[in-house]
Parts: sequence; structure tokens; C-alpha cells
Amino acid sequence: MPHLDAAYNLARWLAGNPADAEDVVQDAYLRAFRYFDAFQGGNVRVWLLTIVRNSFLTWLKENRSGRLVFQAETPAIGVSGVEETAWGEPPPDPEALLLERIDSQTLARLMERLPAEYREVLLLRETEDLSYKEIAEVTGVPIGTVMSRLSRARLALRKLWLEAEASEASRGA
Amino acid sequence: MAHDRFRQLVQRLADNELGPLRRILATRHIARCASCSAELDSLLAMRAAIRTSLPSHRAPPGLAARIGSALPREQVPPRARPWFRVPALRLTGSGLAGALAGVALTVAVLHSGGSDNAMLSAVIGGHVRSMMADHLTDVATSDRHTVKPWLSARLDVSPPVPELAADGYPLVGGRMDYIDGHRAAAIVYRSDKHVINLFAWKTNQLGDSGFRLQENDGFNVISWRADGVAYHAVSDVEANKLERFVQLFAGK
Repeated sequence: MPHLDAAYNLARWLAGNPADAEDVVQDAYLRAFRYFDAFQGGNVRVWLLTIVRNSFLTWLKENRSGRLVFQAETPAIGVSGVEETAWGEPPPDPEALLLERIDSQTLARLMERLPAEYREVLLLRETEDLSYKEIAEVTGVPIGTVMSRLSRARLALRKLWLEAEASEASRGA
Repeated sequence: MAHDRFRQLVQRLADNELGPLRRILATRHIARCASCSAELDSLLAMRAAIRTSLPSHRAPPGLAARIGSALPREQVPPRARPWFRVPALRLTGSGLAGALAGVALTVAVLHSGGSDNAMLSAVIGGHVRSMMADHLTDVATSDRHTVKPWLSARLDVSPPVPELAADGYPLVGGRMDYIDGHRAAAIVYRSDKHVINLFAWKTNQLGDSGFRLQENDGFNVISWRADGVAYHAVSDVEANKLERFVQLFAGK
């Protein structure tokens, strides 16, 4: 089955656990198969990821009514002082480079703390290597929104990481 | 503010989303601006961290099978798309398909019109669907003496099923399919890890055609017609390997 790993990875990061991710992916592929005639050409992976995302939203509505996962442009939960201008504040530079040495467990934990829309845009951009236009297609928002959301997502992740780093340091001291 | 504008450019530069002119502009600015230069470094560092350290969840082994078994067994209904109305002039070549053994293929890339595109996407659709539905073969065997009679018993065509494993194209099996309103035989081969679907169906068009290669959405398709049968070889394998495959297939 094409792009199954990519589909599962996105579903897994959105749904948060393996069992729900599997249900979402299965639903997505059944839809994809049913509506294959509606595929207008273009990138099959982008098309499938769009369906995975829609399946996730449907699943969310049916299973977790009331819990808001996607919110309109919210700052990261529990992150204080995230700059709300479109492009954020100047970076606290040299520290940010420490990200290169982050261990995968910490990074996964921080990603889980991000709002779903930030997590999603980071995955689509960095892991799936999609263009702004393709991300706009998958998430159904204008390209300008993709750019500002991506900028905020990066800023939020950086903040979370610096905080984690700081609390680690103070515990160690 | 000019500086904010450059910060936008830095992100777009890191994301490879700048045209040539703005790219030069941004690069020049970064060379002079320590803050933007640090910003670029930190964007790239975050990307490296996500790509190397973020756990990537792979689909569990049973998932493909589970989806496959949940799919409806029946085929997608055929659409009435008159392949025979495609003007014969679109087809290249000189009717020498039968005598092609050992002769290099002449492959022409056509600028195709509407109905040709519909055919192309129908064929690619069949290929993608066969893998998506985990329904690659109805009869899974590398024995051509099993595949050929299985197909001829069910279809009005009896395409050749040559043994090409020695040339790097092992036979995987056969399947019945519906492509663009045609009941088609699908003969499945592999080239390394790539699947090649060879579709064959009876055509009303007279005469043989040359071979033509078309590329769409990462898939290569080579189409030809011989002895009243339309053939389409589809795969995401590189064009030259698909050409070699068709050469061997049509030559035997």
C-alpha cells in the first residue's frame, strides 16, 4: 500500500496512540479507495495525507466531542510569552543551536505538548518535506496562514525546549 | 519594518520557498546580519533535530492486510470512455511491433490531449489501486504456465507471459482488472522493489503501433498495440528499466 508509513506517522502524531491511529489510517485508505476516481492528479502522497487528516477530524468528532484539538492560531499550551506577531521575536540565538543535541525522547515529549496544528505543520514541513502549497492543500488553509503558523510552531517548540533545558539545569544544580 | 521582512525571507529561504531574485536578496542580507544568520542556523538545526531525533512511527505490520481485507471485493465500475475514438494519428511508430525482438525501442513522448490523458490516468489509477488494495494478484505464482491459462480462461485476450526472471524481472502473478471500461488482464512483474503492472486488453483498433513512453506523477507508462491487443506497462521504476522490460516482453 503506497505511503502507508507516512499516513500512519501523521495519524499517530495527531491521534496520540497506536490504536486510534490505526483506525484513522484504515478509514482514510478505505475512503481513498472509494473516491479514487475523484483524484485529480498531482501528488498521491499529498492527496492521501489530506484524507488522513480529514479522517482524523471525523474520528475526533465522533469520539471526543467537546475536546478542542485544533484551535484557531493558539499559542502553545503551557508556553509563556510566545510572541504573537507573525514572525515572532528575534531568536535567543546560540542556545537554539543546542537543539541539535536534543535526545529523541525529549523531542517527542515536547512535540506532544504542542497544539495539534503546530505539531501537524512541523511534521508536514520537516518530516514529510512538503512545500507551503502542499501543506496548504492538506490543511485547507491559505499559504500565508501556513507560513505564519509554521513560524509560530517553530518558535513555540524552541521555547519549550529552552524551558526544558533550563529546568533540567536547575534540577541538576 | 525592513528587518521583519528579512526574517520572513529567512524562513522561506530555509524552507526553499524563495524565487531566484529574493533568494539572492536574502542570502546577501544574511551575510551581513548576525541576527538573521543565527535565525537561519537555528531553523536548520531544528529541522536536523526533527529529522534525526523525532521518533518516526512506522505502520504496524498487520495494518496493510487489515485495510486490504476491509476493502470491498468488487472492482470499481467501468466508466464509458471510448478508447477507440482516440485518433489513430496520435499513435507513433510504423507497425513493426511484432518484429521488435532485439531492436531498440523508439520511444516518443507525446504532448497528449484530453482523451490520452484520461487513458493515462486510468492506467496509472489501475496500477496504484492494485497496490493500495493489497490486491496485486488473483493468481500469485512465478510460473508462467499457471498465469497464462488462468488469464485466458477468464478473458478474451491471451497475452504472452514470458519468463523474464533471468533478466531481472521476476513474474509475480496475474490478475483481472477493469481499466477505463475494459476488462483487462494484468500481468505483474517486479524490477528490484518496484512493481510493474502490464495491462492488456482487446482493442478494436486495427494494425500495430509503435511504443510510446509517457510520464505522469512519478509513474512511467509505455503503451503499444499488437495483434489486436492494447498493452500498457506501468511502474514507478526508472524509464530506462521500464523500456528494457517492454523490449524483453514484446520481443519474446
